[in-house]
Amino acid sequence: MTSTTWRRWSWPVLLAYACVAVLLAYALFPVLWMVSTALKPTPEIRTAEPTFVPSRPTFEHFGLVLGQSNFLTYVRNSLLVATTVTAATLVVSTLAGYAFSRFGRLPGISLAGVAMVLGQMVPGVLLVVPLYITMNNLGLLDSLWSLILTYTTFSVPLSTLMLKGFFDQVPTEVEEAAQLDGCPPSQVVWRIVLPLAVPGLMTTALYAFVQSWNEFLFGYTFISQDDRRTLTPGLADFIGLWTVDWGALMAAASLAVLPVTLAYLYLQRYLISGIATGATKG
Amino acid sequence: MGIQIARPARAAPALRLPRPLARHGFVYLFVLPSVLLLLGFTVWPLLRTFWLSVQDVNLVRPGSEFVGLANFRTQLADQTLFWPAVWHSLVWTVGSVGGEYLLGLGAAVLLNQPLRGRGLFRMLVLIPWTVPIVIAAMTWRWILQPEYGIGNVLLVRAGLLAEPVYWLGDLSTALGATIFVNVWRSFPFYTITLLAALQAVPKELLEAAAIDGASAWERFWRITLPHLKGVSLALIVLHVVWTFNNVEFIWLLTEGGPLHASETLATLVYRMAFRTFEISEAAALSVMMIVLLLLVGGGYAVLGRRREERRTT
Repeated sequence: MTSTTWRRWSWPVLLAYACVAVLLAYALFPVLWMVSTALKPTPEIRTAEPTFVPSRPTFEHFGLVLGQSNFLTYVRNSLLVATTVTAATLVVSTLAGYAFSRFGRLPGISLAGVAMVLGQMVPGVLLVVPLYITMNNLGLLDSLWSLILTYTTFSVPLSTLMLKGFFDQVPTEVEEAAQLDGCPPSQVVWRIVLPLAVPGLMTTALYAFVQSWNEFLFGYTFISQDDRRTLTPGLADFIGLWTVDWGALMAAASLAVLPVTLAYLYLQRYLISGIATGATKG
Repeated sequence: MGIQIARPARAAPALRLPRPLARHGFVYLFVLPSVLLLLGFTVWPLLRTFWLSVQDVNLVRPGSEFVGLANFRTQLADQTLFWPAVWHSLVWTVGSVGGEYLLGLGAAVLLNQPLRGRGLFRMLVLIPWTVPIVIAAMTWRWILQPEYGIGNVLLVRAGLLAEPVYWLGDLSTALGATIFVNVWRSFPFYTITLLAALQAVPKELLEAAAIDGASAWERFWRITLPHLKGVSLALIVLHVVWTFNNVEFIWLLTEGGPLHASETLATLVYRMAFRTFEISEAAALSVMMIVLLLLVGGGYAVLGRRREERRTT
């Protein structure tokens, strides 16, 4: 935006704006329609002549979702899982990321690094069957722990690579100086490096949180007890529960999507640069 | 997203310290938790998949039996589910990634123009990608719904359709409709990534070409596009892998239906394991998918290395 040269109105410029308008309509219409439907009373939804702006906006569908369904239980479960996963991912990936950044050449460590890169490429569908059996053997099906373990495993590789990228940017001289002053190596990480890598930690935390908040397949497969459901499989269940009550479905969808979307938009810059760092410097 | 498997890990800045292992013991402790997680919940399950694929296991009855390659033979001979699923996987992957790339590139070029409000537009175009797949599926099911769905209402009103179409429930349109929804949700990631790459195209080169009389189209085709090659290849390979293995979109939109019309290999694995409980058949399918993945990954590694060599010579 900084070096925008503002040209006079001309046909190419008008055409460009027209294209932007079409593009944004395509990208945003479904989300706006979701919110619009959620705010309409049922007769306005089930009509052959729908309007974009609700003529008599109502919060009845939101009331139904919040008051007469397990929506809030799902949210609580998802929050529990996502915060635990985020904390665990941060600890595990910080340790590993630091080791890869500073001691990547030690025998065995470089091998583990390659394993990380490969590990993050393994798609969920290939793991869902054997992991289901594993969780069954561990007696963890229908327990949130099954999801916490799975999601942490899935977010650790990329988080580690992202954090390695951030640690690479922290100059080693600072650490050497601290060590010369008698600070033991484990303390160097805690006292010197971590405070410098806070933006990287934020990015990683956001990534881990959103990953587990949005994940569907494993939550849907591992948890069948309704009061332990997480949000995304819970929402999918609503489709069966309220088959034709689109107002309620869209209200639930709106409630679930807005926090994530706002967090993303607010933090997108960090997230994208972080992913790019992890991806290019792996 | 580390797709550069073939390339040796870049040397990290090493501390100048004495080297005895005792001093570096803590490094191994640092790596241990992540390695344990990876071994326990990625490597071990994968090995187990290979083991399951040569046995006869069914979740509803106990016991197992070694059957060699029988599961693979059964699949490869299956004309009703397996081969149609292979074809649907191909259409689903190529259609989705192709559509996403073209739309993503178009949007990136558009949003790279010096327009007022560009920053805001860039942020807004990212929104579909932030919507969880479950919610994207719910919303589009509503839009594409045959009776009151706004998609049908608008198309009929515009005269493009004579009567509403049950997009997700019709044999001929189900797969296409799921691809359409996938493109909507996934293209912004391409846009954002390609925008970053577009900003790295040297401006002097474009200006020099313009002075030499190259048209906008020639500049794009001869200068901009070649500069996007590396990023594009990475984006495409990554999304081919993701799309090919995606279960959620199709499962939530059509469950692979109607009559398996949108069933891909990925949804077939899921259906066999958790609907019909044919664990071993699902494992055999998974193994075939792993082999395919390795082929794609290997191909990408070879391509990447060739590019690298060409650059250095």
